[in-house]
Amino acid sequence: MTDEATALIAEYWAVGLFTIAVFTLCALMIGAASLLGGRSYGRSKSLPFESGVVGTGNARQRFSVKFYLVAMLFVIFDIEAVFLFAWAVSVREVGWEGFAGAAVFIFILLAGLIYDSRVGALEWAPRKRGQSPDIVTDQ
Amino acid sequence: MTSLLALSPLILVCATAIVVMLAIAWRRCYDLTATLTVIGLNLALAAQLLAWWQAPLDVTPLLTVDGLSIFGGVLILVATLACATLGHAYLEGARGPREEYYLLLLCAAAGGIALVSSRHLASLFFSLELLSMPLYGMLAYTYRERGALEAGVKYMVLSAAASAFLLFGMALLYAFTGHLDFAGLGGALASAGGDGWLLAGMGMMLIGLGFKLSIVPFHLWTPDVYEGSPAPAATFLASASKVAVLVVLLRLLQSAPATQDAWFHSLLAVLAFVTMLVGNLLALMQQDLKRLLGYSSIAHFGYLLVALVINEGLAVETAGIYLVTYVLTTLGAFGVVTLLSSPYGGADASRLHHYRGLFWRRPYLTAVLTVMMLSLAGIPLTAGFIGKFYIVAVGVEASRWWLVGGVVAGSAIGLFYYLRVMVTLFLPEPGMQRRDATTDWAQRAGGVVVLALAALVVLLGVYPAPMIDWVRLMAAT
Amino acid sequence: MNLLTLTFLFPLLGCLVLALSGDRLSLRGAATVGVTALGLAAATTVWVGLDFLEHGSAAQVMELWTWVDVGDFQSSMGLLVDGLSLTMLGVITGVGFLIHLFAAWYMRGDTGVRRFYAYMNLFVFSMVLLVLGDNLLLLYLGWEGVGLCSYLLIGYYYHDSANGWAAFKAFLVTRIGDVLMAIGLFILFVELGTLNIQTLLARAPEVWARGDLMIELATLMLLGGALGKSAQLPLHTWLADAMAGPTPVSALIHAATMVTAGVYLIARMHGLFLLAPDVLTLVGWIGAVTLLMAGFAALAQTDIKRVLAYSTMSQIGYMFLALGVGAFDAAIFHLMTHAFFKALLFLSAGSVIVSCHHEQDMRRLGGLWRKLPLAYAGFVVGGSALAALPLVTAGFYSKDEILWEALASGHIGLMMAGLVGALLTSLYTVRLIVGTFHGTPGSDHSRHAESGRGLVHGLPLVVLIVLSTLVGAWIHPPLDEVLPASPGAAKEAGRHALEIGAMLVAVGGVAVALWLFAWRRALVARLVALPEGARLWRLWHHAWGFDALFDAVLVKPFRGLVWLWRSDWINGLCNLVPLLARGLRWLLTRAQTGRLRHYAVSMTLGATVVLIFLAVG
Repeated sequence: MTDEATALIAEYWAVGLFTIAVFTLCALMIGAASLLGGRSYGRSKSLPFESGVVGTGNARQRFSVKFYLVAMLFVIFDIEAVFLFAWAVSVREVGWEGFAGAAVFIFILLAGLIYDSRVGALEWAPRKRGQSPDIVTDQ
Repeated sequence: MTSLLALSPLILVCATAIVVMLAIAWRRCYDLTATLTVIGLNLALAAQLLAWWQAPLDVTPLLTVDGLSIFGGVLILVATLACATLGHAYLEGARGPREEYYLLLLCAAAGGIALVSSRHLASLFFSLELLSMPLYGMLAYTYRERGALEAGVKYMVLSAAASAFLLFGMALLYAFTGHLDFAGLGGALASAGGDGWLLAGMGMMLIGLGFKLSIVPFHLWTPDVYEGSPAPAATFLASASKVAVLVVLLRLLQSAPATQDAWFHSLLAVLAFVTMLVGNLLALMQQDLKRLLGYSSIAHFGYLLVALVINEGLAVETAGIYLVTYVLTTLGAFGVVTLLSSPYGGADASRLHHYRGLFWRRPYLTAVLTVMMLSLAGIPLTAGFIGKFYIVAVGVEASRWWLVGGVVAGSAIGLFYYLRVMVTLFLPEPGMQRRDATTDWAQRAGGVVVLALAALVVLLGVYPAPMIDWVRLMAAT
Repeated sequence: MNLLTLTFLFPLLGCLVLALSGDRLSLRGAATVGVTALGLAAATTVWVGLDFLEHGSAAQVMELWTWVDVGDFQSSMGLLVDGLSLTMLGVITGVGFLIHLFAAWYMRGDTGVRRFYAYMNLFVFSMVLLVLGDNLLLLYLGWEGVGLCSYLLIGYYYHDSANGWAAFKAFLVTRIGDVLMAIGLFILFVELGTLNIQTLLARAPEVWARGDLMIELATLMLLGGALGKSAQLPLHTWLADAMAGPTPVSALIHAATMVTAGVYLIARMHGLFLLAPDVLTLVGWIGAVTLLMAGFAALAQTDIKRVLAYSTMSQIGYMFLALGVGAFDAAIFHLMTHAFFKALLFLSAGSVIVSCHHEQDMRRLGGLWRKLPLAYAGFVVGGSALAALPLVTAGFYSKDEILWEALASGHIGLMMAGLVGALLTSLYTVRLIVGTFHGTPGSDHSRHAESGRGLVHGLPLVVLIVLSTLVGAWIHPPLDEVLPASPGAAKEAGRHALEIGAMLVAVGGVAVALWLFAWRRALVARLVALPEGARLWRLWHHAWGFDALFDAVLVKPFRGLVWLWRSDWINGLCNLVPLLARGLRWLLTRAQTGRLRHYAVSMTLGATVVLIFLAVG
């Protein structure tokens, strides 16, 4: 019982010591640097450094919302394709049942793809007026 | 094969979702989409009977089909059907795409059905996410309204935070027990006793699920989201989504005896007590019907937690009966709000002064709303009374006087604001014509739905035996 | 037997149809629906009654459903059919149907007919539940339901605020009784553990000895409820004002059915009351005092409906007297005959009132007997039944029975009160008839009276006229199995003497009254003109001044106290609760900023608290 408690206390001590050490180290590094290091001021010093090229324009640039949409769709399909690897590895063990499951999965992906393309989610340019209503270009 | 039959409701809902998706891809037709959805949901509801014949049955390590899951599934499907019908009337005049609402609704319903039959932390997590993800879209569906977009974003961000807690809790549990299935987890917890890390894991999971149920320290989002989101989506959030989460919480608590740990137990009790009081107090002077319903739903889940806290004797039956009455009443109350609102005319008709003198314009809708308010307040001869009676009875039986006191105090406060709404409905509005021109609501399916719900609430209040028998049957397996 | 449920489902259905149809139903259609619902209910009652009598008139219980069944608490809803409930059922649906039919004539042209019939049907529904319920909970439900309908129908002409106040008064005064009754139910439930009537009656003698304090208290509370509903002293003040409602309402609710619910309650719970002899004696004396008080009051009324109202009070006094001496079946018998002849009187009064363009002051009526022959016949037959004219009227048999039971059980005082009451009854009845139908017309209204025509008007009157005669007395309610044998059943000595005495009183009373009111009107006028006479008249006209008494003793002091204590510390303490609630709400709503980051922070804080709570444990 006491051994256990001792072990526990020792363990927590270690954690506590570690935490204190981390903070001390950080404080030491930053404090020493600010005390010892020199300091220079200038107008250009506060500009962002981009390999010597002077930056232009605002950092908050507006992308087309399409960019995010396509990126998101890519990620979704990409991740879902990853599941197929798991099937590929175990294709012999899971047999026909697994095959049926994978087929259903692929079919659902396909249906999703058809839906995306019909809805116009995959088109980069906005549709012309007079065509069927469209969620994506509708801002 | 039996597994497939047992899962047939879930499969049918998923299949309907895909069919609806393809139908939208083929041709946008609002009525066709709605019809397909309703047919699919009805088939799934019928398939619950098939599933009942197979129950109880464990399907894969992830899912189980038993009385509880079928009970939850039926409630979710009924709520979804009501939301689909109400949404049809609501979105009829909306601009922009309307069909995707049904797609989202079906996906969320599939998530809910999967959630109630989960018996594994993995399936719990992914079905919870499947339930929540489409909800973000639904809540922000009328995104031209400021409030809707705000509601969607708020719910999404906070929900993500709650999911983080949930995952952390699961990770802790897994790390210390090596189990992810409820049964194994329960066994490991029982042998481990009140280990601190395990308790922390359970606590974290409780936080994650408690957020979805808007248990008190995690309730702040509820009124804002209810108020801003389109009414049918709020209806789904208030009914189906909460049922699913509560059922899975019930299953978790039942299979994990660690919840009998004194501190965890008293934590639940404290949360229940605080939730009922805070929910009712917040609703007290509320001027907005949707916010009021949001607060009242907080309070109602406080009452429901009482059953979970006690978790012995009649508790499961009580929770079931309370859920049934809560779902019916919530659907009816939100249904009236939905029918009176339309994204045509800007934000939903939710301010209380919209309802002033409603009786003189829409007597039937007023009658429905009155019945629902009475039921929410737990007046005898409505379904709500039966539910509340059970809660009090369970509390008294277990001698949890604090909790019973909380229920009583909460109900007393609740009576004030429910009655306030009712009084508003009947106030005369000077210069008001006796009838509005639009009385065609009854022809619409939505009107029939709310009227049927009101009839059901009264009927179950007078003759609750079928409901009680059904819940007992479901609780027994 | 399953048809039994139809007796209240038909009226309920009628009520729902009328309430939900709105303007879609024509006025005629509304009347048709209302009357048909009652007709079907009455037909069902006949069917059920025949079926019941065929099966040997043993009590039958029909379990409908279990309302709530949680743990040890069970509350089941069932119907109890025996001779008593069947008698009541017959009166309610039968007389009710006739009154509904008559109302179709009375209310014609009134735009609120849908509302009227909806309330009337709802009333019948509640009343049937009241008499059929096999447990006191269901009975109480019906009890409150009829109270509500009574309130709604008294205030039917709500454009006149006086009617609204009359409705209010009726509701509040009966509410006092209802509260007492609820307390009685609580006592019974706590002590006996059930509210099922048959179980109660069986279990009460096992738990309590005769005259135990608890049973006396419980029955006293039940009696309170009965007094309120049946307008007996001291909760009687509402009935005369309740005449503000349409006359068919007065006939159905305030004469034939609802006001007799108190009698029904005591007869139904007879097993309990027999265990509490003091309370039972009190019942008898309350009845006796009420019947005298109301009899005198009826003498000095000018409004024909108010005369009838006080006479109703007085007749119910007879029933209470009978209950008090333990003659439950005599009380129920009188209840039934009274329902016939009082409904007849009210309907005839309704006919007179409509014919004379809504004139109901006796002083402005008169000389109508040629113009309104049917109403006159109704008044004469109903009045003679009320005055219990010997041998040919229904009232004679039932009232005679009551007097005999009082004598046989040794309550000479009660019997004497009954005899004096009979004399008073003869006096005010003759005064009513003579004042309304004879002499010279008192106003243009009565001069230009037009008699009602048609089957709808005539049929109910004719049927009730027949039932108020000897024919009505032939109907013997099958009560032997339900109620204990009355004290006078086995005795014979002195019965004939009493009968002859009662006959003499009735006939003599009528003769004296005829002499006084028909031929010697001047004498009466002179008597009233005397200072003492005028004072007496005023006293009786205001029914012994109970309203003023209650006003002085209860209302004024109460308001004074309220005024005195309008800002006391108890009040402040009570106001603290809403203040606290508001304060808490204010605090809590500070958190509802609508800002996402605050929500996220509060969630994290909450999570921290939860985890700390668990960590401490």
